Amino acid sequence: MDTSQLLKGVLDLAVLAVLRKEDGYGYDVLRRLRQGGLDGVGDASVYGTLRRLYNAGLLTSYVVPSEEGPHRKYYSLNEPGRARLIESGNTWKSFARTLDDLLGEVA
Amino acid sequence: MNTQTNTEVQRYLDRMRAALSDLPAVEVGEIMDDAGSHVVEVAEELGDEFSAEALAARLGSPEAYARELRAAAGYPPAAAPASTGGGGAALARFCFYALVAGVAAAFAFAASGGEHEQVTFLVAVCGLIAVALLFGRAGLVREVGNLPEASFARDAIAQAERSEAARVLAYLRTLQPGWWLLRALVILAAGFLLGISEFLVLALPLTALALLSGPRAKRDRRWLWISLPIGAFALGLFLTLFDAVFTHTYYRASVPQATYSATPDYPDNIYVFDKNGKALTDVYLYDEDGQPLESPWYGCASGVPRADNQYPKPQVERDGHGCREVDGVPFAVVIPTPTTSAPPTTTGPVPPSSPLPPSSESAPPATTGSVTTTG
Repeated sequence: MDTSQLLKGVLDLAVLAVLRKEDGYGYDVLRRLRQGGLDGVGDASVYGTLRRLYNAGLLTSYVVPSEEGPHRKYYSLNEPGRARLIESGNTWKSFARTLDDLLGEVA
Repeated sequence: MNTQTNTEVQRYLDRMRAALSDLPAVEVGEIMDDAGSHVVEVAEELGDEFSAEALAARLGSPEAYARELRAAAGYPPAAAPASTGGGGAALARFCFYALVAGVAAAFAFAASGGEHEQVTFLVAVCGLIAVALLFGRAGLVREVGNLPEASFARDAIAQAERSEAARVLAYLRTLQPGWWLLRALVILAAGFLLGISEFLVLALPLTALALLSGPRAKRDRRWLWISLPIGAFALGLFLTLFDAVFTHTYYRASVPQATYSATPDYPDNIYVFDKNGKALTDVYLYDEDGQPLESPWYGCASGVPRADNQYPKPQVERDGHGCREVDGVPFAVVIPTPTTSAPPTTTGPVPPSSPLPPSSESAPPATTGSVTTTG
C-alpha cells in the first residue's frame, strides 16, 4: 500500500504533533517528520500544510532573521491548534485501534 | 552560494511564483517566504553538487512543487493560462474595474444612507456580471492578476510588506477574522435598525456572504469580488449607523435647550373666542416674528399630517363606523366683563356642546362619547 495516500489524511495531525513541544520553521518541521519515520512526505506538501493550518488559525508565526541565508518563518501551536491536536489525536487513536482489531485476525 | 547557483535558484523561485500567481498576493508572499527559503536551503545543502537538475531531482520541477503545495494548502488548482480564449484581457480588465467601482459604490451607497441608487444599481449589475464571469471562466482570475493595473496594486502591497509598516500590516492581518465577523454583525444590525424592509431581505444573505467570503478570498481570489465590496459596504453602513447614534445622543443631550428655545410645545388645537364669548373659526395665528404658528394635524386621511396655522382644527372622531372630521367648537366659554385684566374663565357645559372642561393642554376632546352627540 502506498503510504503517501495514507499520509494525506494525517499530515495535519503529524505537523501539529511535531510542533507540540517546540516551534519550528518549515524545514525544521520537514526534518522532524522525516526523523520521526515519515520518509515519504513531500517537501511542498509540508509547506502547503503549514499554510493551511496557519490560515485555519491553528498556528501562529513569527520571523527570525538569520545572518547567513534567508530569514526563517517559525510556526508555533496556539490554543486552538493544541485543542485540534488533542481532538484529532483521539480520533486517530480510536481509528487505529479499530483497524488493528480488524487486522488482528489477518496478521 | 556562488552567482551561478544564485541565478539557478532565482530561476526556480521565479517559475514557482509564476505558477502561484493567481493566488492572493499576500499568500504568494507568505509562501515564497517559507518555501522560497526552503529552496535556498536545499540548494545550499547540495553544495558543490548543485545544478538545476540536482535541485529539480530533489524537489521536483517548480511547477510540480507549486502544484503539490497548492493541493496540500487547499488552494484551488491552477487553471491553464490558455483556457480563457480570446478577449481574455478585455474581460479581465472589465472584472478588475468592476471590482474597483464595486468597492467605491458599495461604500458610497452605504455611507450616504442609500443615495445614488441608479449608479449603485448599475455598478452592482457590472459587479455581478464580473462574479459570474470569474466563476464561469477558468483562468480569468489569473488574467486579471496579470493585468498591469493588478500588478501595480500587488507591487504596492508587496512594497508595504517590506517597509516599516510590515509590523502594522501583520497585526492588521491577525484582526481579519474579527473584521469578517464584525462586518457581518454591522450588516445584520443595520438590517434591523434602519428598518427598511427591502434592505432586511437583502441583509440576511449579505450577512452570510460577509462571513463566508472573507476566509475564502484568502485562498481563492475570485471571492475578493464578493468580499471587498461587502467590506466597503459594511464600513459605509458603520459610518451611517455611527452618525445616526451620535446625532440621536447629541439630540437627547440638548433636549432642554431645544424644548425651551427652539421648538416650543404647541397645543394640539386652539380655540379662539371674542369678548362676547363667541367662538371664532378660521383664525390664522402668527408669532412676534410673523412666523405662522403651525401645528401638525392628523385628519382621517392617513399619511402625512397637515401642518398649517389655521385654527381651530377639526376634531377627528373614530368609532365603529370609521373616522369623521368634525368642525366646530366642542365647548363654550363665558368671558367676564372686562373690569379686571384677569384671564377669562371658562364655564361648564353649555348645551348643546359637550360637558368637557376646556383645556389648552390635553388632546382635543375628540374621542369622548358625548362629543359624537353634537356632531
